Amino acid sequence: MRRRPGIGGLQTAAAARDQYRLLGENVAKIRTDLMKEQLATFRSQLEDFARKHKNDIRKNPAFRSQFHEMCAKVGVDPLASNKGFWAELLGIGDFYYEIGVQIVEICLAMRAQNGGLINLQELCSLLRQKRKGLREAVSEDDCLRAISKLKVLGSGFEVISVGKKKLVRSVPTELNKDHNEIIELAQAQGFVTVDELERRLSWTSGRAIDALETLLEEGFAMIDDGHRDGRRRYWFPCVSSISSLGGNDA
Amino acid sequence: MQTLGNFKLPPFFNYPPYFTLQPVRDTREKQVQLWKELILDYCKTQKISVIGLEEEFPLFSNPAIESKDLFINLCISAGSLTHEAREAFLAALVSEAGRAEWLDKGHRKCLILWHRIQDWADILLNFVKDNGLEDSVMTVEEIRSGPESRGTDLQGVDRIILMRALKLLEHKGKLAIFKGTSADDEGIKFSR
Repeated sequence: MRRRPGIGGLQTAAAARDQYRLLGENVAKIRTDLMKEQLATFRSQLEDFARKHKNDIRKNPAFRSQFHEMCAKVGVDPLASNKGFWAELLGIGDFYYEIGVQIVEICLAMRAQNGGLINLQELCSLLRQKRKGLREAVSEDDCLRAISKLKVLGSGFEVISVGKKKLVRSVPTELNKDHNEIIELAQAQGFVTVDELERRLSWTSGRAIDALETLLEEGFAMIDDGHRDGRRRYWFPCVSSISSLGGNDA
Repeated sequence: MQTLGNFKLPPFFNYPPYFTLQPVRDTREKQVQLWKELILDYCKTQKISVIGLEEEFPLFSNPAIESKDLFINLCISAGSLTHEAREAFLAALVSEAGRAEWLDKGHRKCLILWHRIQDWADILLNFVKDNGLEDSVMTVEEIRSGPESRGTDLQGVDRIILMRALKLLEHKGKLAIFKGTSADDEGIKFSR
């Protein structure tokens, strides 16, 4: 727009700007309203869906996990409270509280053996043993959800990823990057040696010994000196726990 | 599950570090606890009463761990308890009142009491009552291998343990021990 001289010109330009702004606001409002409407529709559809597939959600872990994903996308947390529509409809709140309590029990019972670090897979299989006879199947996804609810207790329950595996930490000890790398390396054979760390990670022996000593102190590792090569092996119960060892294939 | 004869071994028996005495206190306590339970349990089912630290003892090594390592040609001592570890586990049993006792000052032989002496004494008293042996006389050998004890825990009970239980009962006036005709066997007269 060509700018015209004089006060009239300035006034026209200001008026045009106001017009544009108003139009913009209008468009944005229409869009938001539309979005809100869509979300409301989606939410009510989701409720209908939940009502219709109540039993599947309760009994089928894969179905349950997808349902949770869907809920998360529209900002519904069926576990946010034990009261209210979702919990009453599905009763899944209680389900996760129950699993949560059982997970805490298992972690405590295993702490002496693994120092408070446990493989998610192992935790799940122990949980299934514990719940044997109950009708609902429990998946790893269910475990993760229950653990995420445990965080509000502030007791330091956390899921950490080490290599390909997920570990559940039930003690407040923080693991640093070195510790993570060691545990990741140990996943291959169940143990590592100082030599191996020097070779594979190009660490100095001081750095390796330091990190291993910390892991020992925290109870995450156990030593094994019974080898003729004289190299101390550091075993990690959290990656190959004794409860999952079966007979000679150990 | 690995077995030793008819004995089912616990899972930790297959985890190599349990054969090395752990340096960290909490970890070692758990390790010692598991070994104590295993030793008592094994001795009870196999009716073993004396463990010699320098002798072969099935629990003190796990051939499954050894052979696995022999395969990659690394070692022969893997999966085997050191003398230090054996002594530590047995010492833990000894320190738990009445569960074990050293038979010598050098700690080379250990008496395992899967029934405490007091419990053995109670078993003896029941044995006397069940068989109506009050006022009668038996030799120590008869108690261990006579027809009355067949099928009970007293059958083949270690002589040292039996004598300890008998002496405890003598002390309480439940029986009298006297020298028999042969020098190596004592007679027992049960009281009413």
